Amino acid sequence: MTTNPPLDPASDLSGPGRGDNAIEAKEVEGLSQGQIVWRRFLRHRGAMFGLILLALVAIISFTAMGIGPIPGLWKYQDYNRSNPEILNGGAPTLSIPGFGSGGFAIGEHPFGQDDIGRDNFALVMKGVQTSLLVMIVMSIVALVIGVTVGALAGYYRKRVDQALMRFTDLVITLPVIVLGAVLGKLLSTIPIKLDWSQEVREGISASMPLLLAVMLGLILWPSLARLVRGEFLTLREREFVDSARVAGASDWRIITKHILPNAVGVIIVNTTLLMSTAVVLETALSFLGFGINPPLISLGNLISTYQGAFSTRPWLFWWPGLFIILIALSVNFIGDGLRDAFDPRTKRIPSEREMARTLIKANRAATGGAA
Amino acid sequence: MSKQNVVETNLEGAVRLSRRIGDGTVKKGDVILEVKDLGVKFWVNGEWFDAAENVDYDLRAGEVLAIVGESGSGKTQSSMSLIGLLPPNGRASGSAKLKGVELIGLTGSRMREVRGNEIAVIFQEPMTALNPVYTVGFQIVETLRTHFVMAPAAAKARAIELMRLVEIPEPESSFDKYPHQLSGGQRQRIMIAQSLACDPKLLIADEPTTALDVTVQAEILKLMRGLRERVDAAIILITHDMGVVADMADRIVVMKDGRVVEHGTSDEIFTAPKHPYTQSLLAAVPHLGSQTGDDHIVVRESLVSDGKNPVPLADGDPDVTPALLMEGVSIDYPKQGRRPVFRAAHDINLRIDPGRVLGLVGESGSGKTTIGRAAVALLPVADGRLQVAGRDITHASNADLYPFRRDVGIVFQDPGSSLNPRLPVGESIGEPLYLHEKLRGSELSKRVEALLDSVELPRAMRNRYPHELSGGQRQRIGIARSLALEPKLLIADEPTSALDVSVQARVLQLFADLQERYGFACLFISHDLAVVEMLSSRIAVMKDGRLVEVGPTAEIVNSPQHPYTQRLLSAVPVPDPAEQKKRRELRDAIIEQLHLV
Amino acid sequence: MVRFLARRLALALGILLTLSAFMYFMLDLAMDPLWDLRTSTSPNKAELIQNRINQLGLDLPWWERYWIWLRHFVSGDFGLAWTTQQRVNEMLPGAIATSVQLVFAATMIAILLGVVVGVVSALRQYTTFDYSITFVSFVLYALPVFWVAVLLKQFLAIGLNNFLNDPSVSWPAVILFAIVAGLFWAGAIGGDLRKKLMIFGISGVVTFGALAYLLTSDWLVNPRIGYVGVAVIGLAWAVAVTVVFAGINNRRALYSALTTAVVGVVAHYAVQWLFYYVPGSWTLMLILLLVAIGCGAGIGWLFGGPDRAVSMRGGALVALMMAVLTFVDRVMQGWSLYFNSNVIKGRPIATIGSETPGLGGDFWITQLDRFTHLLLPTIALVLISFASYTRYQRGSMLEVLNQEYIRTARAKGLTERVTIVRHALRNALLPLASVVPVDIISLIGGAVITETIFGWNGMGKMFVTSLRQSEPDPVMAYVMITGALAMVANLVADFLYALLDPRIRVNA
Repeated sequence: MTTNPPLDPASDLSGPGRGDNAIEAKEVEGLSQGQIVWRRFLRHRGAMFGLILLALVAIISFTAMGIGPIPGLWKYQDYNRSNPEILNGGAPTLSIPGFGSGGFAIGEHPFGQDDIGRDNFALVMKGVQTSLLVMIVMSIVALVIGVTVGALAGYYRKRVDQALMRFTDLVITLPVIVLGAVLGKLLSTIPIKLDWSQEVREGISASMPLLLAVMLGLILWPSLARLVRGEFLTLREREFVDSARVAGASDWRIITKHILPNAVGVIIVNTTLLMSTAVVLETALSFLGFGINPPLISLGNLISTYQGAFSTRPWLFWWPGLFIILIALSVNFIGDGLRDAFDPRTKRIPSEREMARTLIKANRAATGGAA
Repeated sequence: MSKQNVVETNLEGAVRLSRRIGDGTVKKGDVILEVKDLGVKFWVNGEWFDAAENVDYDLRAGEVLAIVGESGSGKTQSSMSLIGLLPPNGRASGSAKLKGVELIGLTGSRMREVRGNEIAVIFQEPMTALNPVYTVGFQIVETLRTHFVMAPAAAKARAIELMRLVEIPEPESSFDKYPHQLSGGQRQRIMIAQSLACDPKLLIADEPTTALDVTVQAEILKLMRGLRERVDAAIILITHDMGVVADMADRIVVMKDGRVVEHGTSDEIFTAPKHPYTQSLLAAVPHLGSQTGDDHIVVRESLVSDGKNPVPLADGDPDVTPALLMEGVSIDYPKQGRRPVFRAAHDINLRIDPGRVLGLVGESGSGKTTIGRAAVALLPVADGRLQVAGRDITHASNADLYPFRRDVGIVFQDPGSSLNPRLPVGESIGEPLYLHEKLRGSELSKRVEALLDSVELPRAMRNRYPHELSGGQRQRIGIARSLALEPKLLIADEPTSALDVSVQARVLQLFADLQERYGFACLFISHDLAVVEMLSSRIAVMKDGRLVEVGPTAEIVNSPQHPYTQRLLSAVPVPDPAEQKKRRELRDAIIEQLHLV
Repeated sequence: MVRFLARRLALALGILLTLSAFMYFMLDLAMDPLWDLRTSTSPNKAELIQNRINQLGLDLPWWERYWIWLRHFVSGDFGLAWTTQQRVNEMLPGAIATSVQLVFAATMIAILLGVVVGVVSALRQYTTFDYSITFVSFVLYALPVFWVAVLLKQFLAIGLNNFLNDPSVSWPAVILFAIVAGLFWAGAIGGDLRKKLMIFGISGVVTFGALAYLLTSDWLVNPRIGYVGVAVIGLAWAVAVTVVFAGINNRRALYSALTTAVVGVVAHYAVQWLFYYVPGSWTLMLILLLVAIGCGAGIGWLFGGPDRAVSMRGGALVALMMAVLTFVDRVMQGWSLYFNSNVIKGRPIATIGSETPGLGGDFWITQLDRFTHLLLPTIALVLISFASYTRYQRGSMLEVLNQEYIRTARAKGLTERVTIVRHALRNALLPLASVVPVDIISLIGGAVITETIFGWNGMGKMFVTSLRQSEPDPVMAYVMITGALAMVANLVADFLYALLDPRIRVNA
């Protein structure tokens, strides 16, 4: 076979030129996929806002009320203890400069007191802890089940897929709140019905948030499974999977080392969205009485208990609701930021003004340099 | 004296909604477009990057100007800026005058009057360029009624006439078809009809045939040439394919990295290119017939299918174990969503001896990719017998296949998706070694580095990720990976089809060198006959899942016997205008003969 | 086709059957029909417990009870709510009707608003408008529905009721509202700075003027849209419809739309007499609506021209708006009567239930009563649904705008309006066909919280009440019906999508 005359040797070997990925490549030299995504995530303003907000809420609640056996720093650790001393009709003692008189002060009861004198701040913080705990545990359960089901269905297809998808359909038919209500009631009824011993009953009551979280995870996985299945169906057809197969990789290796890391984007984004659903679901169930019931505290059952008190003690109603919103909102922002970080197509296009400004600058530089 | 314009006559009665530039009459030879110092910039993350700079050219009526370049040369963007179709983060500068009217900076209704009416565009991918929820007839009518005051019935009549002009079969009933009901070639004809609807002065064809099969491409080029005779429009043909340029262009502008490096008439550029880039570009283009033109055929060896019976198996030396042996192999393609199982390959008889390269050519849907995949056990064999390096793998289970994996390798077409984006390329290369030879640590590293050396890449590259590499580099990594275990048989599935011409030339050179050095047998699958001719000693031609002709390269290229092979070969454009002209005439003769017979 | 349907139905039945068994088992674990008796202190506690066990068959294993329940269910007997001894068959029709009423209005509004805002937001991507809408929809999405509902009960109900009894104008609030409205319209319509300022000014002034008029005159005592209102809104709507769907240059479409508006005003006058003599009813309303749309289309047809269909479409849309305005105006006419009736006693915005008991009055008063009861729950449901529709539609529209055929449309010289309305919108709205049916139907069973808080006796409330009281039969009926509806919804969604997408409808 005749050979072609030697061509410019460096141009093909010197890295991406002006070709397909020239302009994008400039930004991401030397970084792995994970690092690129992380950098994009950090640049996303909404996500950072959400992350900081969530961190603040978590830190305040855990330092105030402690974690499990470790006590917190707030003076009213026993939130259920009623206090005959009711200050100022129980109104909040928190003041912020600009809203009302005086400068910034925490006061004795920043979020106020209820009708029997319990400190609202302690109650709300405890509720926040419950919500955060439920959110995390539920996500883990839903993540594990959803990814497993979705991966198996998407990878093996045919009969495995059919069977798993029918099963998913089963769970997805009813509204989430219905299943949640039934399961929630189940958890509180079974100890009584089966007449378990007092210690067991108390143990179950105390760990109700955990149990509830696991139960919710068992309900919320189908949407994740569907998405993972879709990703797997697509990724499975990619040529690097074929290469791995030709090289002799086992199914397990292909799933875990090749496909799963590439599906991580979809999984993470949807898990965060699932988290915000979980928070709202748990509070809704607690509100209806099918979730976490008193004496345990949930933001939902706080609102439920005090809904009638709106005209007399509105602060008992505002603060729990506000924190539900803050948690759900920040998680949503984080999820949105993650989605933008993983999806390279959504590039930031600036406003006309910004583009015009930089153009003038560039032109000036060009002509200035020449002159 | 203006040419009688077949398309114009029926528009005489119509009232134009959009103004025309100039006095409406255009004579052949008039300068229509003057481009001076045209530049295109893009805003990316706070900085402006130049996609094109200092572009100058003139265009005359009735002329075809080819703008040639590889990816990133700025050929598409500079042309899109003429009608203001840059993405929102793009800016055009400089001047482009259409019959004296400045186009750059034109906005609003004035620009809309130019688009479609004076300047029309034919895009590359007709499936995505046509709206899937409207009929093709409607989309042509829409163009007409935007620029003319026309009743729906009159517009429909004209649309059907346009469809007839572009040779769509049964235009009256095709009018109500949706894009997905037509073939790729027919869709592109609709795009052409749509663009000619308002009798524009300038037609911009952006890679109009790149997405089409080679025989379809030849037909579309023929159509466009025919239309040229009848229409006074000037055509800007944007392409990277020098064969297409040789076929169509009067004048050529060569672009590299956003700048014009050379321009001239077609003859000037092809026979005596001045700029080194143009020279290297022309040298890199595979020229069908160049490798085997001088070979004389003494004894005919080709095996041809006679329609009913499949191509029989070539004779081989009984003492030599073929690297690949397929006897009566049929392959079914699995169910994909709505599409049921169908037989992609019928009765295939193939033999590849050790160290030899067999080129497998065919158009889309011919089944050539299916055969490649079956050879590496990615697809099951439904019928017949498949042997690789003496091992029968027809119905082998996964466990049985494990030792077989050492004997084969595969290189894929798309460098973008053939490497796991999450792994550093060194890991991708080393995977076969990790799995089969159980190498770890420094031993693995050494082997990986040796492989990188053999594909002429720096050793430090093993820690890079695929997205940091160019297409050519990624493809070299793919080759390195496939050779890791020193296989006896390598399947190359369109390995260079997604690469730029100059990159392709280098990768092919590398491939040829490696084949000589390692001595593996190779099944080289491609739709590009010129490339296949460069590397293979034998060629097999496929059509609709069946082998049609198999034989030595020289015979197939210079004197094909099967009618389909003849058609296929005659359709391939060569980068030489004079030769291409002769080939065109030859092709027309062949097509006529086929229709008569 | 038939085979496909048959297969789907068989599959659906299978799933429902499995679901019923599964749920029955879960409910058996979750419910304790003896809950109140366990802590009872009455002397014959054991006897009461035994009675109840006999009555409910609690000594049988769950699968036997399930079998009995299933036999009854398929023969049409849905069982008994044992606490009240009410037959489930009697409870159901009312419950379903109530849920449908509640959900229907809310989803229609949420879809309409959500889709429009989502599309506009996609068109104005990366502008402040887009970012603000996205932020607002995030906040709305994060709102817990029960919290919002209680808030609404407090502010909107009590607050608005107080306000209506003693209306006072808060000028800062009005000005603020006008400014926000102005900013919204300027952002939505877009354009260069001059155009935006103009739109801001005009819409701000108009909003301010309208609000000022409404609040300072005695409109609140006797609210009406009135002839002037109908005429102004009708004409403005006619112009808007023409601009969006036909293009301002399409004279025939413009004239037919305007003519329909004028005819609508005349009809508005004429129909008052009709209402005086003929008692109102839903059938009458439906007939009048169809007549109106027919007239509107007819006027469009009469204007002729080559593109009759465009004019007809415009005429029909204008006629629809005129009919709605007429209906609303007539209902409003009963306001002072309603307000001052001794059942309402000056507190019209209701928080409990779907209607006021013992109200009396004719069709129009009943409708007004329905509206005041629907107001709060609808707002609660809309707030959250709206957010998800906006986000969804925005995403869909953005994806479509990036497609090649949009570039082709622009390259052909089509105006921006035609490119977006004809090419982009059609493709962007297509996915809704698969989302909307499922969403509507899932809400029928899913509006559990809203029904509970507002005391609407719909399916959701039935579920909650029965679950609390450990009554298995109503809950099972609820589960089966919701499940069946979900299957139907999926089928309808698939069918609609296949109908609307030519790639599936017409085979290659």
